[in-house]
Amino acid sequence: MAGKKGSSGVLARVTRTVSDSPIVSHTKRTASDAAFVTKKLLKSTGKAAWIAGTTFLILVVPLIIEMDREQQFTELELQQQSLLGAPPVVAGQK
Amino acid sequence: MAGLAAPGDASLNKPPKVEEKANYMDLPCPIPYEEIQREALMSLKPETFEGLRFDFSKGLNQKFSLSHSVFMGPTEIPSQSPETIKIPTAHYEFGANYIDPKLMLIGRVMTDGRLNARVKCDLTDDLSLKANAQLTNEPHMSHGMINFDYKGKDYRTQFQFGNGALFGASYIQSVTPHLSLGGEVFWAGQHRKSGLGYAARYETDKMVATGQVASTGMVALSYVQKISEKVSLATDFMYNYLSRDVTASVGYDYILRQCRLRGKIDSNGCTAAFLEERLNMGLNFILSAEIDHKKKDYKFGFGLTVG
Repeated sequence: MAGKKGSSGVLARVTRTVSDSPIVSHTKRTASDAAFVTKKLLKSTGKAAWIAGTTFLILVVPLIIEMDREQQFTELELQQQSLLGAPPVVAGQK
Repeated sequence: MAGLAAPGDASLNKPPKVEEKANYMDLPCPIPYEEIQREALMSLKPETFEGLRFDFSKGLNQKFSLSHSVFMGPTEIPSQSPETIKIPTAHYEFGANYIDPKLMLIGRVMTDGRLNARVKCDLTDDLSLKANAQLTNEPHMSHGMINFDYKGKDYRTQFQFGNGALFGASYIQSVTPHLSLGGEVFWAGQHRKSGLGYAARYETDKMVATGQVASTGMVALSYVQKISEKVSLATDFMYNYLSRDVTASVGYDYILRQCRLRGKIDSNGCTAAFLEERLNMGLNFILSAEIDHKKKDYKFGFGLTVG
């Protein structure tokens, strides 16, 4: 009984010394700080990604679609021209 | 114009010759003072809307046409709170237009009781009269304005008279073949306000740069670069000296065979795009989008224009 008490006393003392040591408290604070910063960073990155994505969707996606359509039109026209048989004009345009 | 001159003096006013040594007696006529930034506004201020709109116009004969338009959607009501308040509205607008090279009459009536009338009339070759009136059933919200525009050989002047004892005058003069300078003065008797403004515009085939300063504290600079016939890029910078707010924006204007696309983004976190797609002869489909990231205000609209 007495030995057990002594050993628990030793254990408690060791735990207390470890947990009270400046290194542990410093590590703890750093870890919580790091977690906080990471969370903030993730949040703001997400927000920035959202803004960039929606802006892209509005400004650039229609532009790409319309340019693609224009390209298709031009190709179709060229094809029709060559089918109708006007090679000099096509050659001149190229 | 110079190319059409008689062969005898063609060597004197050939365009390349003008480039080398500007003929200061033969300067081009500048564009009107109030339209000094029109190229930049074209791509930076698309008329975005929210909801549905349908416009139909039909010509009864060559000069006379009727127009009908329906709009449905949320409208912002002005309020002091930072959050925008929107109420759903719907209205119908009936319009009648008479367009002749010398006389233009445009009238619009809305179901909520607003009436808008515009007249543009060429009194002589150089002098033209413009009148604009807006009548509402709310008191003190009706406006009227009359403008006299005089177009000289290398200058333009305008006199403005409006209700509420509003007087204004502006003058713009071509200084070199590319540069024009102008100034304006206005006096609003009802609000006891007066102001002065100056503007400069530099224009070549590839770019347009303008600058404007007014005694209201506004400084506006704009620059438009025409990359090709179809594409132009524009940027502008606005600074108000009194309220200390600054805005800069960048936009593009892309004209394709089947559509016209305009987009802009500004430093207030506001993005806007406007697409006009030609589906058929006389049938246009419009898509409008505006996102205000800061206010979390999203506006999307679509519409059809017939005729």
